[in-house]
Amino acid sequence: MDFTFNEEQEMFRAMFRDFSAKEVAPQAEETDHEEKPPLDVLRKAANQGFLGATLPEDYFGAELDYVSYVLLIETLAGDCMSTAVTLATHVSLVAMSILAHGTDAQKEEWLPPMAAGEMIGAFALTEPDAGSDAMVLQTRATPDGDGVILNGVKSWIANGEIAGIFLVFAQGSEGIEAYLVPKDTPGLTVGYREPTLGLRSVTFNTLYLEGCRVGQANRLGGPGEGQTVAQQAQDRMAIALAAAGLGVSEASVDVAAQFASERVQFGVPIAQKQAIQNYVTEAMIDVEALRYLVYHAAWLVDQNRDFSFDASVSKALGARVARSVTNWMLQVLGGYGYMEDYPMARKYRDARALGIIGGPTEVHHVRIAQRIFADLDVEIAP
Amino acid sequence: MDFTFSSEHVALRRMIREFAETEVAPLAAEIDREGRVPFETLKKLGEIGLLGVCFPQKYGGMGAGETGYCILMEELARVCTSTSTNVGAHIGIGAMSIYLDGTEEQKQKYLVPLARGEKFAAFVLTEADAGSDAAAIRTRAVREGDSWIIDGTKTFNTNGSFADIVTVLAVTDPTLGARGGITAFIVESNMPGFKVGTHENKMGIRGSSTAELIFDGVRVSHENVLGKVGEGFVSFMKTLDLGRLTLGAAGLGGAQAALDWSIRWAKTRKQFGQELAHKQSVQWMIANMAMEIEALRSLVYRVAWMVDTGQPFTQLAAMVKLYGSEVGSRAIDTALQIHGGLGYSRDFPIERGFRDARISEIFEGTNEIQRIVIASNIFRQHGVRIRP
Amino acid sequence: MRVIVILGRVLDPSGIVVKGKAGRIFVNREEYVLQPADRCALEAALRIKDAALAGLRPSQDVEVVALPRGPLPDDDVLRQALATGADRAVYLVGQVANLPYTDDAAAVRVLAAAVERLGGADLILAGATTMDTGQGQLGPRLAEALGWPQVVGAWHVAAADGRVQAVCQSSPLLVGEEGGGTSYVTVEADLPAVVTVLPGVLKLRYPDGARLINVYRGVGEVAEGLEQWDVADLVDMESLKPLLERRGQDFPPERERGVRIDGTPEEMARVVADALRQHVGR
Repeated sequence: MDFTFNEEQEMFRAMFRDFSAKEVAPQAEETDHEEKPPLDVLRKAANQGFLGATLPEDYFGAELDYVSYVLLIETLAGDCMSTAVTLATHVSLVAMSILAHGTDAQKEEWLPPMAAGEMIGAFALTEPDAGSDAMVLQTRATPDGDGVILNGVKSWIANGEIAGIFLVFAQGSEGIEAYLVPKDTPGLTVGYREPTLGLRSVTFNTLYLEGCRVGQANRLGGPGEGQTVAQQAQDRMAIALAAAGLGVSEASVDVAAQFASERVQFGVPIAQKQAIQNYVTEAMIDVEALRYLVYHAAWLVDQNRDFSFDASVSKALGARVARSVTNWMLQVLGGYGYMEDYPMARKYRDARALGIIGGPTEVHHVRIAQRIFADLDVEIAP
Repeated sequence: MDFTFSSEHVALRRMIREFAETEVAPLAAEIDREGRVPFETLKKLGEIGLLGVCFPQKYGGMGAGETGYCILMEELARVCTSTSTNVGAHIGIGAMSIYLDGTEEQKQKYLVPLARGEKFAAFVLTEADAGSDAAAIRTRAVREGDSWIIDGTKTFNTNGSFADIVTVLAVTDPTLGARGGITAFIVESNMPGFKVGTHENKMGIRGSSTAELIFDGVRVSHENVLGKVGEGFVSFMKTLDLGRLTLGAAGLGGAQAALDWSIRWAKTRKQFGQELAHKQSVQWMIANMAMEIEALRSLVYRVAWMVDTGQPFTQLAAMVKLYGSEVGSRAIDTALQIHGGLGYSRDFPIERGFRDARISEIFEGTNEIQRIVIASNIFRQHGVRIRP
Repeated sequence: MRVIVILGRVLDPSGIVVKGKAGRIFVNREEYVLQPADRCALEAALRIKDAALAGLRPSQDVEVVALPRGPLPDDDVLRQALATGADRAVYLVGQVANLPYTDDAAAVRVLAAAVERLGGADLILAGATTMDTGQGQLGPRLAEALGWPQVVGAWHVAAADGRVQAVCQSSPLLVGEEGGGTSYVTVEADLPAVVTVLPGVLKLRYPDGARLINVYRGVGEVAEGLEQWDVADLVDMESLKPLLERRGQDFPPERERGVRIDGTPEEMARVVADALRQHVGR
């Protein structure tokens, strides 16, 4: 087993760090405070090829392997989780779904503008009544000539306000189906934006589909294949979110260690106090455990092996570690950790989202349990 | 052992709960959003005597003891932690410092209007370089005839921006340390030289005021020395020891709210064809939450009883603050998880509870300090002297 | 001027769950609260006292006395009244048939005797409705027993100089008007009179903190205002046979569950239209 990055990956990582420090970090506090999407950063990221990170060069993508892409998400998340989540939604959930399941015509039509950042993607699966229970959809796709009419409501759709293309999941005649719906299609309305605890520069919107007609050419995948499209997308996203958890955790440890080495109380830097050391070391142990879990899951993607189980495991751990590490590193900063003009408060609020978005931890637990017990012939229902 | 509350405390809780639900709860979201102190609530609390809940009636208080004060903090925090923070800083450390160490004249002059809610109090200690290490303060008080001149900057102060009467700790003899070199003073905020500096932008308890206070040549009479010259540090630690208890009560209130919300949501919300209440994961969360709350409740009111009956309480009060803040944080975190997306949305009270709870492990003595206090007390009983 | 307020208690409804299908009422938490309408009556009495003290009426000492709707298991309600500002409260003890379901007819006999023992009163205020029986009979029955005028269902009450003014919701029957809309009418009567107060309008004051602590501890001037009388000293126990006999309880039929309709708007509309046609058209 070779646990090192290859030369290319090392180079990419250095480039990502450079970009993030220069472009992402300086805007994080303001975009959070003003709750505005990081459009400037996205534009600059597009220039670097990040918006088409894993897409083939044929579609103007950067053709990164998933491990490198995960390094990108990790690095961005260390400075601004909102930016990381916005980008991951666009790439892992939407662009890569088109890449995996699209016809050549669809790929040619949608991928280049997405890679260029001219068209941001949003993934419309969740509904008000079906939070975790994503495979029971109320949104209907009713056949209408050579297309379908979509009717329904979607909620908590990330990138809602900035998306140019929505991947909408609906109950069709043969099961769940996925449709690519451009923003200005009549009958699609982007509605209420959820005010959130963290990830405040991600826009989470309610989406209304009222007699929204799309042609068959916009269906992604075959009839009734929507469930597969959704599941694979969510698995890819789970790994990306775990990487975001890794990024925000590492960055928090850095912030806290720096603070602890400078803050003097009782005559010494608090880093000399064993309790503070324990917080930082336990955090570091968690970070390292998560790190290789995430990279391994990403490696499975690159190997074209089944990564579903590892996606859930890394997401579940990622959520737990991010929550715990941001909490304890905030504690190291004491009162300063609670003030919004220091970065820890934002990281704490942002990290908490990982237990809920991309599938709440409880849902991932069920999926992991299903896999464990399937080998023993026990079928687990959610 | 009688584990029941006396009838006056039962009646008190009933009144406070009604007040909390009618007057305090409706403002909770608004004051958080606007970042303002609910003065209208503080005025109403003062009018019915609650801002002097634990002080004897001869000083304008209600005479309900520490037990009554814990009930007040619990019931207020159950609906709005910002409000309980404002009240706690006023009663539990501000006015309390005067009650514990003031002369009869000082109590009549300062404690009575505070207990009656006619004036507001703040307790001023922390500085940029003196957080947990409170003895490292640098604010200076220099004697000049019959007065003292106070100079220095205090940070992270609760209530100081609107208090009328503040008790402040300053160094009076730099050659001595905490023992003999630090003195406490009562300062009226309208004295020349007292200024309010920057207001902090906090993650939570945004309906409370946290600000920098500047003492720029503030002249106070020698009669405003609180306690004895040189004994201020000990006196302030004594006040903090007692204040901790009621913070644990606030943690209890917040935890109880988290549990109530969680039960209600688990009853209502259906996922995968069943209410959440039928999921073992959720049942375990609720059971654990409820258990911790019961344990905390017993601890809070037992220690309140010990204070009210004159028994030593320092180690136990530290435990109450430590355990109460952790239970409160765990409970609201679990409640957030149970509520899923709604727990993360600012349209619901869960995320506000989550932000508010986080400070409880930090202020009024970080939980690290609490552990040091507990460990020191334990080892001192065994002859080992621990330094922080 | 002596103002008597009649106070009763009721099980806190938030501690009760009614299961019609099982035909049972589950009391999960047995806690009692002051009847909301009676609390409003107390607030009205205290405002009359405030007005007199503020000199808004020609000076008159107003004494507010709280009496219970019947013998109660404990004096909590009376202590609450004292804490909130009543001058005196009388706790009635003694065996009365069918406690706690003593009906208003029996209660009125006791109250009339209590009023006499107090030496009379100028005004009696009571809640116009009760949360448990919903009968609202106590006020009118008491007025009849005393031979006093009665005003039923007041929102606001003022009293001075031998007269009471009660603001009530107007009704066509009362003023011979036609048409709808809410309007108010002031009804006046000579004192002594009985006025019943509706819940929900007057903003209720909180008890004073120190008075609350003292009255429950039994110390201080406020606690001296509490007296205890034996019902047997007031009335002949034989005369307390209630008019009502509780024979059991019945529950309304279970509401039928609705049917959830799915589909496109057109499909759903078709189903609803069919259902309406079926149900209404017959």
